[in-house]
Order: sequence, then C-alpha cells, then structure tokens
Amino acid sequence: MEKTIIDFCLEYARSKNVDYAEARAVDTNNEEMVLKNGFVDAYAITVDSGYGVRILANGGLGFASSNKWTKQEAEKIVNMAYKLAKNARRRDKITFLEEEIVNTRWKVKQEQKIEDISSEEKIKKLLEVDKVIMSQKINVVARMLTCLTTLTEKYYVNSEGSNISSFVPKVNVSAIGITVVENGKTEQLPFKQYGYAGGWEAFKRWRIEEDLAKEVKVLQRLIREGKVVKPDKMDLVCGSEVTGIACHESCGHPMEADRILGREMSQAGRSFIYPGGPFWIGTKIGSDLVTIIDDPTVENSYGYYLYDDEGVKARPRYLYKNGLINEFLQNRETAAKLGTRSNGASRSINYDMESIVRMANTYLQPGDMSEEEIFKDVKHGIYMHSFTEWNIDDVRFNQRYVGREAYLIENGELTTPVVRPTIETSTLNFWMAVDAVSKKIVFESATCGKGDPMQGSPVFTGGPMMRLKGVFIK
Amino acid sequence: MGKTEAIVKKGKTLGADEIIANTVFGEYRQSRFSNNQIDIGVAWNDFTTNVLLIWKKRVVTTQIKNFQNVESILKQLLKLAKVSQENPMYGGVTQDKFKYAKPAVDKAIRYVEDPSKYIYQAIDAAKREVGKDIISGGVLSTKFEQVFLVSSEGPEGQDERSGIELSIRVFSQRDASGHGVECNSTLKDFNPVRAGEKAGEIAKLAKNPRAGKPGKYDIIFDPLFFGNIISVYGSMGSAYSVLIKMSVFANKLGKKVAPEIVTIQDNPDKQSVNHRIFDEEGAAVKKTAFIDKGILKTYFHNTSTAKLFKTKTTGHAGIVMPIPWSLEMEPGNISKNEMFKEVKKGLYLTNTWYTRFQNYVTGDFSTIPRDGIFLIENGEIKQSWKQIRLSDNILKILENITNISQERQQVHWWLEVEPPSLSPYVLARNIQITKPE
Repeated sequence: MEKTIIDFCLEYARSKNVDYAEARAVDTNNEEMVLKNGFVDAYAITVDSGYGVRILANGGLGFASSNKWTKQEAEKIVNMAYKLAKNARRRDKITFLEEEIVNTRWKVKQEQKIEDISSEEKIKKLLEVDKVIMSQKINVVARMLTCLTTLTEKYYVNSEGSNISSFVPKVNVSAIGITVVENGKTEQLPFKQYGYAGGWEAFKRWRIEEDLAKEVKVLQRLIREGKVVKPDKMDLVCGSEVTGIACHESCGHPMEADRILGREMSQAGRSFIYPGGPFWIGTKIGSDLVTIIDDPTVENSYGYYLYDDEGVKARPRYLYKNGLINEFLQNRETAAKLGTRSNGASRSINYDMESIVRMANTYLQPGDMSEEEIFKDVKHGIYMHSFTEWNIDDVRFNQRYVGREAYLIENGELTTPVVRPTIETSTLNFWMAVDAVSKKIVFESATCGKGDPMQGSPVFTGGPMMRLKGVFIK
Repeated sequence: MGKTEAIVKKGKTLGADEIIANTVFGEYRQSRFSNNQIDIGVAWNDFTTNVLLIWKKRVVTTQIKNFQNVESILKQLLKLAKVSQENPMYGGVTQDKFKYAKPAVDKAIRYVEDPSKYIYQAIDAAKREVGKDIISGGVLSTKFEQVFLVSSEGPEGQDERSGIELSIRVFSQRDASGHGVECNSTLKDFNPVRAGEKAGEIAKLAKNPRAGKPGKYDIIFDPLFFGNIISVYGSMGSAYSVLIKMSVFANKLGKKVAPEIVTIQDNPDKQSVNHRIFDEEGAAVKKTAFIDKGILKTYFHNTSTAKLFKTKTTGHAGIVMPIPWSLEMEPGNISKNEMFKEVKKGLYLTNTWYTRFQNYVTGDFSTIPRDGIFLIENGEIKQSWKQIRLSDNILKILENITNISQERQQVHWWLEVEPPSLSPYVLARNIQITKPE
C-alpha cells in the first residue's frame, strides 16, 4: 500500500467541484486450503492491494478503483469517479450527512499471530479435524473442509478530514457437504461456518473437532431413529443457530435503510418496512421479549469493526426493541434522506466495491430463563437446534426454516429425533410468538450476501434459545 | 503475453513440475439505478494473473496483482507446494495442442461512454407498457477483458471477452412487479427496450395480487426462472460437485434423468456473455452435451476429474474445479402461447430467488418465486398471486417436464442465474407449492 497515492487521490479529488470525496486502500494477504475427502486438494495464497475512490458531485455518486499503484493510474481513477458522479444527472440530489472527523488507528489483537503459523501447521490442524470426523465409525462418504486466514490492512481518508488506519486478522473454517450414508439413506450437513476476528487461537475457542464429530453422530441418529412430525400447531424451541438466522433474515435485512429506500430493489429486494407503509419506527413487530441488536463491536466477532468504511464510529444498533421497530441500519446517504445520523453500518468487502449498508453481528438479546425452564413448560413441541434449508422473500416477510438437528419435546423432555421439521411463517407471526428467551447466548458465523457485484460480508448471527408458542410446524 | 510467458518460464526454472499462468486485464463498468434514477456509476480496472503450480502432485495457486515481485511470489508458492501434501486425485493438466476459435469480442462495448441512455430506454419501454407511475431499479454492466494464457504443458492462447447486461425490475404497485433481463456479448445485438417491455408487461399483469394457495400445480417457468433451475443442474453437473456429494447426479451417468425432450448443454460460444475460447488449463471449449435426450451424458471435467472418471477433459477447468460456462436448453416444438393452452389449472412463474437445499444428494429444496406469479385456468391467466414458495425436489422437476417452448432467451442475473443460460419456457407437472401459515 502506498499511502501517498491515496493522499494524492483525495487531494486531486478535492481540487474538483466535489461535495464529498473519499479514498480507501485495502491490502489483503489470504491463505486458503481446501481439504477434500481427507486430502489437500489445493492451497492458495493471494496478496491483493488496491484502492477505490468515491465522489459525490452535483448530487450524483461515482466510484472507481484499480490495483495499479501509479500516480498516473490514480489520476485516471479520480477522473473516472468524478465523471461517473457528474453523469448521474439525478432529479433528487444525493447528499451525505457530515459526520465527526476521526483521526485514528485501530487493530484487532491476536493471541497467537496468524503470521507465525506455518502452512504445515495449518494443514496439520485441518487434517486433525478431518481425522476426528472419520474416527466416529460412521460411514461419512464425503466431506470438504476449507480454512481461510486473512490479514486486512486499510487506509481511509475523506474530504471532511478523517484519516483512519486499521488492521484486522480473521480466520474462517467451513465444513461443506458432510454426508452420512446408512442403509441406503443419506443425511447431509450442507454447510457450516466458523469465523473469528483475531489470531490462530480461534481453534481453541471453536472446538471444531468435537462439534463436527457431534454433527455426524446426529446425521446417523437421524437416519436410524428420525421420525416425521405430524403437521400441527405446537410450541417451537429454537436453538441459537435458528434464533440467529431468524434475527439476520427477518430483522437485520429488512432494517437496512438502503433497502427500505429501494436502492437494492432489483437484486436483494425491498423491505416490508417502507415510508408510508404499515410498519415503521414504533410499530409492533414482536412480543415484548424481542430485542434484536446489531453490534459490530462484539470482541473477536466475525463481523467486528470499530469504524465503518465511511469513517463513522461503530456502535450497537437496537433494531427491534421490546417488540417494537426501533432503529434502521444507516450510512451517510440514507441517514441524510431519512433525517437522522449514520450509525456506522457502511461496509465494503474490498477496495473495488462501493460500501453499502450491512449488518455486522445480529443477535437476540438474552432473557432470564434457563434452557431447562424453557423446555419444562412444553407439553408437545419441537426443539430445532440447527437448520438446513432456509429462505425468505425479498421483502423479508415470508420465511422458512427447516430443522437439521431437531427433536420432539414431550412433557418437557427431548425424546425422538425429528426429520426436517419445517416452520413457514411471516415475520410478524414469528416474532409475536416468542414467549421465552434463555440467559445463555451463543454466536454463529455466516457470510451475508448483498450488493451487485455480490459482496459476501462476514457476520455473526446467534443469540439465546427462544420459544415460540403455538406455531404451525409441518 | 510476454509477462504471462515469463511467469511460466520462471516457475519452471524454480522447479515447478507444471505451471499455468492466466492473465486477465479487465475493465468493468456499471450503473446502478433505483426509483427511476441512477444511484451510482462504478468503474473498476483489474490486472490479475492466476497461477496454478504443481510440484510432485501438490497443487497450489495464487493471484498475482503486483507484477514487481513476481519471482518472490513464485518462490513463496513453490515453498508452499513443498510443505503441502500430495493430492492423489490430481491427474495432470492438458498437454494437448489446440486450435482455438477466433475471439468473439465486440470492442465497441469497451467504449460505451454513457451507459445511462440504455437504462432510460428500458425505463421508458416499461412506462409504455404500464404507465408513467412505475418505480424501477436495476443495473447495467459492461465488461471488456483481455486474456493471456500460457501453460508449461503446451497450450498458449489469447482471448478477448466482452459483455453488456441490463437487469430491470419494474413495480406497478408496491407488491406487483416484473423483472426483465437483456444480456449479450455484442452491443449491436443488445436491446434494452426488450428487457423494459418484458418487466413492464409482467408488472402490469401482476397488479392487485392475492395470497396464493398451497397445492400441486402444473407450472410454466419463464426463461428467467428456469435459468435459475438450469444453473443448479449445471453446478451439480460439475464432476467436483459429484465427488463431494453436492449433486443429485452421482451414479447417474448414462441413465435417464429426464424425458426425451430434454437436452441441456454447455456452449460458451460467441453470443454468450460468458463466451470464451479456452478454459483455465488452456483446453479449447466446445459445445458439451450434458443431458442429451433425457440421458445424463457427462459431467463437466478438467483433466484431473476426467482421469478419475476415465474420460477426457470437457474443457471446463476453472482455477481448481471444473465449472460450466454457459448453459443452454434445446428448444421444444410448441410456442409459448400453445404451452399455456396445455394448462388446465396451473401457475406461470416469472422469476425466483433464494434457492436452498436440505440435501444435495436427494435434491429436496425450496425457492421463492418473485415478481409476477399467475394462476392459469384453461390456458389463460386468471389471477395474480403473491406469497408462495416452490417446495419440491430438483430431480422431480426435471423428470416432470412435459413441454419446452420454441422461444428461448439469454438470461443472466445477479447470483440467481449464474452461469448465464439460453433458457426456454418450460412446463413441468405436479409441482408442490407451499405458503406461510
């Protein structure tokens, strides 16, 4: 990274008739290994370095980027961004809200530096995980494991005077297509992800071996003992993974202000929340127990950051609060349109992508019950510990979660494993049905998709166990 | 070409057994719009060389973005290979000599100065269909790539690739919309009006939707919707997907997976926005019959997977795994209008998103129709619907196809139709529809 080129970009942009300009450089150092059915299939290293310039001029926005670090190319990039902004010719001029000027450096600490871990050690670690999966004496006919380490250095400057440097190391492990076959029947864990901002100590915290060993046992038990649920109204207890995906899909996404204003309408879609519609800030969306927070500052979280990609300080956002729609995720542009402040939700996954409104770590606020108490009051219901297939419509109202590990609850006790119980319901019905929330919180990792070109953004989902009273399960 | 060749020579000198360098100089432009106005213009230039290096069956890759320290990157890569492990599935890269087709590039796309005019042409076309009070959004993208490939095993080639695409979604009411796409490799064949008209036509029909009813229906899939389904078949057709059990097509080679009217092939030729003349190993690409008259003929292979399956590469090498480039379904023998007459009670689904699987081996999945959803009775559209989900099995859809239209359309859209496909209207019977309770 050549910071002088970035500083030049900003100064050159300022020399034009701009309302706002920013330049952002990103250096990434990635190592990724793929273990396919027990063998190292491929090992990739990527060192990437480039910069992007975004300009607001005449009420239009332009963004241009390059990985060619010359002053001549930088000048071309600024000219291109400026020209694209001017070409927009909008009737409604875009404005950006002025935010506090920030001059800072921040970084994520590592207990065990990724840079100090050799490639051999990384391979060894993943092979150990694979060995544990295969030592369960279960017929696992396919499995793929990937391990990605990233070291990301950023340098951000804007025309308001902010100057921010950061360094974030991350580790990500994905388990893909873990497939168990027995008696001609197949059960599968399509995808599971582990993410962490920090160093190689991630592996000590995750305990992947135990987790995936448990997963293959669950798949085997499902084949041997799994029963199909008789469709009916009953209580549903959601494990953290299910709570988390619901928070992400039917709270986090519809609360993105750019979506609310229609900017994602042709790809990720719009929101059931919109100006003049039946749902807005203050509208009831869930029971009083439903408080959903998006917080980028959760330490070591996969979606961790302290300043967003518009130079705004990150803070927890209370999206739904005590069952009411409370606060949207905002960037400078949406905040100006909606007459509020940015809450630091603007993120980009690399130098060549514009920053857009994103979630970070979205979770349900824990309640005051123990998990035992939550099960105790259920006479007949389902415990959905984890999910497999899921989806939601493009206004984030009609959603479906299909259980992967799930059990029947009879008189407060977990009994038989249940094969793919399904809840298909609306956002309102889902969150209004919550009548109990546990104290214990567990986070899960995911990659959130949005933007065009697609920007897969690291996030935490998760939360406590929660109970939904009298919902239809099939 | 010189730089790419130098990378390969240097890699060999340093001790690589095999090395392939594939350099792409890409210029990409995009205009995103919503609420009938341009939100942002985006331009990115990318200079990258993908390197695949093999040492004693250890497979390592890198992307070189900074060409000042190539030697040190290659040394690092080789060092990585030496500490990595042998991949027993590695079966080499192609050593054949190929005569490539002429690149099918349209240089005019590189010099599109103001792409917003195409957006406004599409919006105006939609307005002519629905009326002036529409809300529309979408994206117009162009790409121009110069590609240089050198393999230590023989293949060497240069390609130029171009593409222009428009995706437009039009709302006639808050919950009534239509989606149109237009994609082409040449500017002269690119017709944004067609996308705007289609989006507008669907949005107009979709007005005043009612909540849909669950049940089993005969379904006419629009080319845009079926492009999503074809892309699932294509992804599952990769030999890599078969090896890791992320496919319904394992153990089905040579078997009947669809009625005789179904032929799906991969064909990255000149009209596709993903056209190319060689794959990432330098093997020439060609039309490859994947499902031929209902029979699963082949998986998509690179040299390694081909060896495992005792066949030859099909020219589908990606950087590590084989992937389809541009799929197409052979047309049928009835028109779209005749197809509607075949349906007594069914649905016409125009678009979908969020296709997700419970189990990739069995193919149980669901997907969420969006934009126009129409109830058909006695061959005619009777009602506009909303809030349904298609919840069935991906193989069953293939097996239950009874009619394919003569009309086909090039479709490519965001993540949902990837890779692009040449897709017809398809009628499949007895498909499960569910709804939220």
